[in-house]
Amino acid sequence: MTKLLNLSSGPQTRDRWTTPFIMYFVAASLVPAAAVGVVVNGLHSLWIILSSVGTAVLSEFLFDKICKKPDTWKDGSAVVTGLLLALSLSPSTPLYGPIIGAAFAIIVAKCCFGGLGKNFINPALAGRCFLLISFGKSMTLFEVDGVATATPVAELAAGKSVNITAMFLGTGGGVIGASIFALMLGGLVLWAMDIIHGQICFSVIIGFTLFMGFFGGHGFDPKFLLAHLCGGGVIMGAFYMATDYTTSPVSRLGQTVYGVLIGVLGALFRVAGSAADSFSYSIIIANLFTPLIETYIIPKPYAYRKSAIALQNGEPRLPFWKKIPKPVIVLVAITIVAGAALGGVYAMTKETIEEQKRLEKLASYKTVLPEAENFEPDEALDQLIADMAGENYGTDFGKVKINEAIVGKNAAGEVIGYGISVTSGDGYDGDVTLSVGISADDVVQGIAFTELTETPGMGMQAAEPEFYEQFSNKAVRFFKMLKGGGASTDDEIDGISGCTFTSNAVTNAVNAGLDFYHNVLKGGSFGE
Amino acid sequence: MFEREEVGTVRNTFRGGVHPKEAKELSKEAKLLEFRPEAGTEMVFVLGQHIGKPAKAVVKKNDPVLVGQCIAEADGFVSANIICSCSGKVKAVEKRRTIAGSMLECIVVENDGEYTKMEGVGEKQDASNLTKEEIIGRVREAGIVGLGGAGFPTSVKLAPKNPDGIKYVIANGAECEPYLTCNDRLMREYASEIVEGLEIVLRLFPNAEGVIAIEKNKPEAIEAMEKACAGKQKISVRALPTKYPQGGERSLITVIAGIDFPTAKLPADVGCIVDNVGTLYAVRQAVLFHEPLCTHVMTVSGDAVKNPSNLIVRDGTSFAMIAEFCGGLKEGKELKKAICGGPMMGLTLSSLDIPIHKTTNGLLLLSVDEVEKAERQQTACLHCGRCTTVCPQGLNPGMMAETAEKGDFERYEKKLYGLECVACGSCSYICPAKRPLTQTFRQFKSEIMAKKRAEAAKAAAGGGK
Repeated sequence: MTKLLNLSSGPQTRDRWTTPFIMYFVAASLVPAAAVGVVVNGLHSLWIILSSVGTAVLSEFLFDKICKKPDTWKDGSAVVTGLLLALSLSPSTPLYGPIIGAAFAIIVAKCCFGGLGKNFINPALAGRCFLLISFGKSMTLFEVDGVATATPVAELAAGKSVNITAMFLGTGGGVIGASIFALMLGGLVLWAMDIIHGQICFSVIIGFTLFMGFFGGHGFDPKFLLAHLCGGGVIMGAFYMATDYTTSPVSRLGQTVYGVLIGVLGALFRVAGSAADSFSYSIIIANLFTPLIETYIIPKPYAYRKSAIALQNGEPRLPFWKKIPKPVIVLVAITIVAGAALGGVYAMTKETIEEQKRLEKLASYKTVLPEAENFEPDEALDQLIADMAGENYGTDFGKVKINEAIVGKNAAGEVIGYGISVTSGDGYDGDVTLSVGISADDVVQGIAFTELTETPGMGMQAAEPEFYEQFSNKAVRFFKMLKGGGASTDDEIDGISGCTFTSNAVTNAVNAGLDFYHNVLKGGSFGE
Repeated sequence: MFEREEVGTVRNTFRGGVHPKEAKELSKEAKLLEFRPEAGTEMVFVLGQHIGKPAKAVVKKNDPVLVGQCIAEADGFVSANIICSCSGKVKAVEKRRTIAGSMLECIVVENDGEYTKMEGVGEKQDASNLTKEEIIGRVREAGIVGLGGAGFPTSVKLAPKNPDGIKYVIANGAECEPYLTCNDRLMREYASEIVEGLEIVLRLFPNAEGVIAIEKNKPEAIEAMEKACAGKQKISVRALPTKYPQGGERSLITVIAGIDFPTAKLPADVGCIVDNVGTLYAVRQAVLFHEPLCTHVMTVSGDAVKNPSNLIVRDGTSFAMIAEFCGGLKEGKELKKAICGGPMMGLTLSSLDIPIHKTTNGLLLLSVDEVEKAERQQTACLHCGRCTTVCPQGLNPGMMAETAEKGDFERYEKKLYGLECVACGSCSYICPAKRPLTQTFRQFKSEIMAKKRAEAAKAAAGGGK
């Protein structure tokens, strides 16, 4: 008997592409973005990338070994996860960040759910969000040459203009993988190679742009839209995060729905919520919708679609609009209604919120300048403040801005003092905005907070009378904050123990108000 | 001229499909060569080599047989005659190993090497006055089955319920399987004969238009066929994009008639008849020359064969004889895999000592086992969706495989339309994780069918009580 030949079920030939090929190709397409990140942000970024990728691969290797699973660390998916995580971190992240993040991404988000192809949320984003939630400040602290700066999107949210060209090239600050040019290059190559699905990335971008255009408050201003598209991980999210195979639907229709969901949620979070990380969360939420989409959107085979059945029965060809599957029409309708509802609610609440803020501010002037009967805005004063909009006031007070100054008058109409609203961006956890009341005889009558979101039990102690009343009824030129306490003179303030950031921010804000009063309102370029 | 719009849109191509490495250059230029096994060889005719019931042997041991003699008759409507391709003596009627691997009843003939024809075989006939029934009768007598691979009796195909409703007779010269070039050669060398066959078939369908469909990677065949049908009003040549499975019946109808239809329906139900160019050639031979189907074209190719060739082979020849005729193995190559047919839908052979069927259109001798390699590269499903993109039926193979693994018959059939799978192999081909998708579907389909049969039997038994 001669040797029998190998038998196998067909097809007897297979495509050359394998899982590792696709994974390493995706990783390679990220190299330009990583390279720009390292060149722009310095060598520390390279260490972040290497430690993230290394940890990811090592985590998978160890997990497989410990759990006695087949070796999967070589398939390249861990490299992609590590690389994506590193590129979505700040270049000033301490090295423990990427290490903890990558380990979390691989072990918790991926391997614990069954490894490749089984995870339900994008591992890289899971790692990133884990870091954001756990370490907050140190992950979002963006430093350029040791000076803290805001990310472009944070600036956008603050209403400032940003340098789109710099964002496009990747020199505009933000995460390591901020170079839109390099990301687009890699992403478009992947799309052209059919590795990522155009349905996902383009519907993300279109959904985002449309929502931003309608509800972003600036209409379809190309500069505004471009700036938003270039910042905050929209491009990285659309091309690399949303297109993750495992956590996105397989059918084209499902992919479109999923993409639009990400775009709309991302834009909504950005318009109505916090600017940073809106995209990470929108993708994660859409990931959770994927099983639902996959359950309900199963396209029928071609032969069972309405148009095909009509042809089979010898009926004339259906016009174009009748061929659109019903789910598409329903989904588009839902999207439009939901979008309009969300936008409408936002527009309504926006006005209410602003009205509320205005009233709060007025009430706070009342508390800090109780003798005044009326508060009147002054046109020249408003103009003056508008002229320095967005710029920090002076050089000695940190990131302090003068928002508004208002003239307090008594019943007889005489000027008895001023209310000044000041914001300091140096709080521990966001902005501190307060109103300072200064009477015409140079005495600080009092201060009141209109925005204070510090840590409860810590920075929030600033809202206790014990602290803020230290400023009341003092006729001084500048206050001085004492870290260790023991204030004895009028111009000394006891800081809140353990909360130097907050205490400093408040003191600086009050000092800026005082300075504004002395230099501008009273003696300087303004006033009688 | 013919109202195409009435039927559907004319598409440039079907949706999905893959582009496997063609490898047709190996045998593309090899002229068709007739192979007659010499005296003393054994010719083995499998009784069940077509779709439908196996034929019934009408000869017994020691009976003398001639070329063109019917040695087994069709048993029932969907069945086909088996024709002897050599002259000699019946050696045995017994079970032999066949292509699919199972042991089937076969007629074994000892070839005397003379190839004496039966009386009347090969004589030119006047067919101009034949009625439709007579034409179909001759096709049935000649034992012609679809030579594209499935082996569906052509006489059945040519007698649909509503012949006037047939709009297209499609001559399938797409030959989308990699390696295979025998139909390409047939079209280049016997173009006018194929057109004659197509004209005979068109006589059965007064309202039909003849379309010869050829993939664009065969420019010489396109040219030859265009020349052969020049001036003929009802016949045209359509050059189609090169894409697998362009030659599938359903893909062709999607492109030419613009209709997608479910597996429950036949092409004739949507006004189409699809015949392989080889079948049309056989129809011409049967109707005009009284020559039944006992020879057909076949490609021998692959990296391990010495002389890749295109042959006119005789039914019942064994693969081993054919391989030997083509020079056997190339020096320094070890035979790892032998495939009957093309690499996409062909079957693997456990040994070469197996007889060919009427429908056998290729023998590939390969020194590399790609499936074995793929099994080593297998990973978990990535959900990349490539299988969905390439499925020519618009199915979702990834989900189907998941469902089949769970054994969820209901969801597989009703929700995912899993039984619509035509096992073209595109999904398995493209899968980067190297999942054995097509295999899973084939298996699960037969499980579902078995279950259905069991249920029907149970219901019948219950009804009988």
